[in-house]
Amino acid sequence: MWARDSQKTFIGDLTKAFNKSHTDVQLRVDLIPASNFVQKFGTAVGSGSGPDVVSIDLVYLPYFSSVGALEDITDRANTLSYKSGLDPAHMRLATYKGKLYALPFTSEASVLYYNKTLFKKAGLDPDKPPKTWADIETAARKIRELGDGYYGYVFSGACAGCNAFTFMPYIWASGGDVLKGRGDNPKPTFDSSIITEALSLYRRMWQQGVMAPLSRTDQGSNAGPAFASGKIGIYGSGAFFIPTLSKAKGFEWAVTPIPGKSGGYASFAGGDEIAIPKTSKNKDAAWSVIKWATGKDAQSVLAHDGIVPIRTDLLKSIYEPLNPNYPALARAMLRGRTPYSTVYNALFNDNNGPWITMIDDAVFKGNIEQAQRSAQQKALDIVSSGTSG
Amino acid sequence: MSGFTKQGPRNDTPYTPTAGVGRRRAGDLSWYQRRQLTGVLCVLPAALFITLFFFIPLVLAFWMSLYRWPLLGIHKFIGVANYVAAFHDSTFLHAAGFTAEYTLIITPILLIVGLILALLVKGSRRGTGFFRTVYFLPVPIGFASASFLWVWLVQPDVGPFGRILQMMHLVAQPPQWLAATASALFVVIAMVTWKTSGMQMILLMSGMQAIPTELEEAARVDGAGRWQVFFHITLPLLRPTLALVLVFSVAGSLLAFDQFYIITGGGPSNSTITAVYWIYHTSFVTFQLGYGSALSILLMLVLAAVSFVQLRLIHRSTEF
Repeated sequence: MWARDSQKTFIGDLTKAFNKSHTDVQLRVDLIPASNFVQKFGTAVGSGSGPDVVSIDLVYLPYFSSVGALEDITDRANTLSYKSGLDPAHMRLATYKGKLYALPFTSEASVLYYNKTLFKKAGLDPDKPPKTWADIETAARKIRELGDGYYGYVFSGACAGCNAFTFMPYIWASGGDVLKGRGDNPKPTFDSSIITEALSLYRRMWQQGVMAPLSRTDQGSNAGPAFASGKIGIYGSGAFFIPTLSKAKGFEWAVTPIPGKSGGYASFAGGDEIAIPKTSKNKDAAWSVIKWATGKDAQSVLAHDGIVPIRTDLLKSIYEPLNPNYPALARAMLRGRTPYSTVYNALFNDNNGPWITMIDDAVFKGNIEQAQRSAQQKALDIVSSGTSG
Repeated sequence: MSGFTKQGPRNDTPYTPTAGVGRRRAGDLSWYQRRQLTGVLCVLPAALFITLFFFIPLVLAFWMSLYRWPLLGIHKFIGVANYVAAFHDSTFLHAAGFTAEYTLIITPILLIVGLILALLVKGSRRGTGFFRTVYFLPVPIGFASASFLWVWLVQPDVGPFGRILQMMHLVAQPPQWLAATASALFVVIAMVTWKTSGMQMILLMSGMQAIPTELEEAARVDGAGRWQVFFHITLPLLRPTLALVLVFSVAGSLLAFDQFYIITGGGPSNSTITAVYWIYHTSFVTFQLGYGSALSILLMLVLAAVSFVQLRLIHRSTEF
């Protein structure tokens, strides 16, 4: 089986558990660097080699399903008693033209982390996290007013994927979207007015100096540690950040959902799904791994390693009791969404692509309208060239 | 190193018929044929390598460039459409322009720094060996590791560069080096200069050491000053080495990728994307292998043309 190297923390425990409980099938996991997983897997399938089972970032499933890289597992999945309990966002991404090509494996939800100690210091109620965009702006500004070195908000302005994860929920929770319409390759809506407003929120916080300066150039690895240093008020991230943060000392923190403009909340449904490549030589064994991985035992192992389980029917029993912050993450996960597109990578995950270029131009340079217009044009080009290919 | 650039005397020993004639039997190869066979056998491994790792991939790339060729899925013959698209691809055109700009800026810097370093360490005074080693030390570091090192050095919150400037009261806040095109480019240029000028130094130094000292001494006796000797004796005699260094550095700069990919990530706002960066991007981010191949072929043509012009200019200038 192939997995991303970022799954290292739990995949070992999982393999051990599988091999202990199975005598006929044994599992060996190869970790592939996350940054070039897609091209490694693509070339492997293209050349007929590659693994028997693969764990893929769910955003790439529409692409791999559409090019016939994965085995259709619709019939096999129908035999599962708990199929209806599987996370709907994951199931949607695993479906291509009515057929199912993967099953959910791990989940990830995006939330806001906020520094309760700083909230108190700035005269805010630490038990009343922000519920609207205005709340966020006020809280961030008050924390910035504490003085030098304290900042209200931080995000990774040079990391495309990070902003799909933490910026899209602001749009969704306010009734907007980044893609419009159903189908395999929906049109982008980068020039919509709700995105203008979300970008303006970030722009104002940047312009007023409320955001930590590193936001502009961070490619994803510095914003988290900055929040963990206790000098930042609010930061958007996922469940994977909890272990890092639990080691941080000197301040209290908590988790709250990412709010919409005037209330409500949303989350990006991230994580991995597990599939059988077309080129797999042991499809039945591969299926036994998938079946086990979505079962209660495996999902409990994941929950203990801090991963949000993909079984909505088990969240209350195996996940939420483990940590006081988990219920908020579980709630966010149930409200999780993922853009469905066979050209997701080029649209949203590419660090030189239209999504991050738009955010960079709008937030740090201020020409919001033009940033949206040119990003929309680039995104349309990508979508139209993707469909004709 | 000088054998690289100077034409040594031809090594043809004239054929002497007295040797070995008596032992020659029918069917045996003549001395001349044997000599030819040895020659072929000697170059065969190199020729095989070049065929395997240069000519075959080149032909394949050209072939792929005529197709719409996604990483997965069906490929389709589309003729020269990829080449036509390249001239309408605003990012590629910008990348090509930026690469040219980068090459024009960095080439003279590397050459001058390399020359100065070479002048400093060419003698045999005490300590020159130490400095030679120091200046050369960054060269064996890989481009990727060097880039990561510099990313950390210029990081505003944890990197020492900003901290040092702040301690010297030159700036109030550690600067965001990578947030503006000019300063991001400056960081890359500083890194590349630090990393590669040692190599240029060694090449130029060996070139200088190959110049007979009598020439310089004669000039001194005739009353030439230090600078006159440098400009009228050293520099003209150094031409072949300079040419070599120049061709290396221009080709290397036109193919720049790692340093930008790692340090700037093409940013801010895609302003520091180089030609190779964009080829990588089209091939492995958007999976258009056919289009990526077409861009590679175009870049190769430019590179071949530039090197050809350079070598022609140099060839002419070495004829005294």
